[in-house]
Amino acid sequence: MLSFRILDLIIALLYLSGAITFVLGLIYTRKKVQNVSVWLTMCGFILHTADLGLKYTLGLGEVLTQSQFYVSLMAWTFLLIFFLLWWRLRLDFLSLIAAPLALVTFTWSLAISPATLPIPGILQGLWFGLHIGSLFISIALLAMAFGAGLAYLHLDSKIKTKSRMGNVTKELPSLTTFDRVNHWAVLVGFPLFTVGTLSGFIWAAFTWRTIFTWDPKEVFTIGVWLIFAWLFHKRATGGWKGRKPAKLAIVIFILSLISFVGINFFTETHHSLRP
Amino acid sequence: MEQKIHLFGLSHKTAEVEIREKFALTGFNPVTVELVSRDGPVSEALVLSTCNRVEILCVGTLDDEQIRSRVLAAWASFCNADPDLLGRHIYHYTHREAVKHLFSVAASLDSMVLGEPQILGQLKDAYRKAVNERSTGVIINRMLHKSFSSAKRTRSETAVSSSAVSISYAAVELAKKIFGELDTHRAMLIGAGEMAELAALHLLNQGLKEIMVANRTLERAQELARKFGGRPLCLEDIFEYLPQADIIISSTGSASAIIRARDIRDVLKKRKHRPMFFIDIAVPRDIDPDVNQLDNVYLYDIDDLQEVVEENLAGRRDEARKAEEIVEQEVDKFEKWLSSLDLSPTIVDLLNKGENIARREVRKSLRNLPPDSDEKTVQTMEHLAESLVGKLYHEPIVFLKRRAMEEGSSEKYIDLARKIFNLDEEQIPDNPHAEKKRK
Repeated sequence: MLSFRILDLIIALLYLSGAITFVLGLIYTRKKVQNVSVWLTMCGFILHTADLGLKYTLGLGEVLTQSQFYVSLMAWTFLLIFFLLWWRLRLDFLSLIAAPLALVTFTWSLAISPATLPIPGILQGLWFGLHIGSLFISIALLAMAFGAGLAYLHLDSKIKTKSRMGNVTKELPSLTTFDRVNHWAVLVGFPLFTVGTLSGFIWAAFTWRTIFTWDPKEVFTIGVWLIFAWLFHKRATGGWKGRKPAKLAIVIFILSLISFVGINFFTETHHSLRP
Repeated sequence: MEQKIHLFGLSHKTAEVEIREKFALTGFNPVTVELVSRDGPVSEALVLSTCNRVEILCVGTLDDEQIRSRVLAAWASFCNADPDLLGRHIYHYTHREAVKHLFSVAASLDSMVLGEPQILGQLKDAYRKAVNERSTGVIINRMLHKSFSSAKRTRSETAVSSSAVSISYAAVELAKKIFGELDTHRAMLIGAGEMAELAALHLLNQGLKEIMVANRTLERAQELARKFGGRPLCLEDIFEYLPQADIIISSTGSASAIIRARDIRDVLKKRKHRPMFFIDIAVPRDIDPDVNQLDNVYLYDIDDLQEVVEENLAGRRDEARKAEEIVEQEVDKFEKWLSSLDLSPTIVDLLNKGENIARREVRKSLRNLPPDSDEKTVQTMEHLAESLVGKLYHEPIVFLKRRAMEEGSSEKYIDLARKIFNLDEEQIPDNPHAEKKRK
């Protein structure tokens, strides 16, 4: 177990250095430093993948009852989505949001004592995996839309009000690029969010013989789903571009965070990750 | 007998445009006018002549006044003008000051539009011409190479050349900030006029997909469309085509606005709210300022663009200070090299000979390469030849320097070195000892 502690520490340090070097690279407008940052984060991500894989195979499913594992998996998913976008769209600047987010989530996972969760019933592997996987990916996509949305709003107001752009703003990609991140995050994220939520209910139906239990998490999630559905509809039918979807994606991501942190850890729910 | 660097010049800072025109040195060849020759006043020279500056850079051993009068005489006689008039407008830098001036010029810190990129290209052309005319030697070669690399450094390490400082480039930069790459986008030019056409041209150079040209009369539209390779439109039809246009440049003589916010609202719906960028160059304005209030629509008029340009210029002036520090550092490095050479004529001759051999051999080898060899290969070969010669000549030079410090024996060795390397270019017959053997 000590070796896992050391591995976790190395991963956290890699994420920390990745996050810091990226900010430095941006401030001093040095492309090379930014690239170093992405590679540092990449190293952290590879170790993190190994870490999760080892914990899963060694613990053989037992880790699924530990809250630590889920928070760590969330951090991993943030980076997975970031690297996918970075690879497809060459969006380095998302590192600004991805690296710190992964760092915070991952360190947080380390701070949680590895107590066992009261996950009830037989784990219906497929439905449960679908539930966690698709929801985590859609939240990670929302995180990217959140970062891109903030950048979009900033750049948009600079151009609209014709005010002076600083060196960092000048280095930013175009408005269209940020909007494209939002586009993909919403178009891919919403179906995944729906699949995740539905599979949760189906899993509940198998496990507890009831679909809806007025659990705070369930109520909250349906609220978020409705807002997300509205955004998806507006985007997909071609009505919305730019500022409005950017703002709404920011709101949805913050709500998801509240749901993930606030509800899972501080309320009475059967989604509780409390140790 | 020390070699000294001199720089004579006229620039937009010291001379009116009439004077600069009068003393332009286009086509001036320092070798044919015998400025650079075995008995000429200078051993190396380079001439830079652009519309904002005319400069002669040279290296010689005569004293300052002699060089000044000989160079000015050659310059003035080439231009059929009075040397005294030239003397009144000229600046004359020597040694470190001359190096620093050249490096600043190359880095575009002395340009009329601070940081403009053309000057470096002009300097490179001037250097290429001087090399072809064989008027440069080891000092100017090294100096120019270093001026290019220091210019490259200032450009990559400071923002002195970034951000647009003309209205049409400012518009292009904004368009790129909104749309990213422009190759899938269409523009519409409404009306005509110098600045609007310039902006359209810059946009086209960015690889715009199509340009539509609208004008009050179809004939005029067709004429402009031919010029830009675009599609002509009648002014009445623009609303029909606006949904296809991402960038709209407007410059008509209309007394009132021709495009209003409520018109654009419909256009946006048809465009599925893809962003639009309006550039209004007309005075009075063609486009209702309220258009800017709409989401995904950006409107810049001529005053806005002018403001962007002024901000960018101020930004460049801040960056120029950083660039000057870099230039200082590079000048220091060059001076160190210069003093290490201690410039005794034999050493300079030796280095010159080496460089000539390197260049000749590179030229020969390049002929054997396929004609489409890339720049990188050529550069590598040049570098290889130069460093090979430099390494080979290093030991003899160190030897000569050491002997120069020991009194008495130096002349003998210098003479020997000149003979061994045939620095005086004497014609040696193919078979000088043939007669002796026959006896």
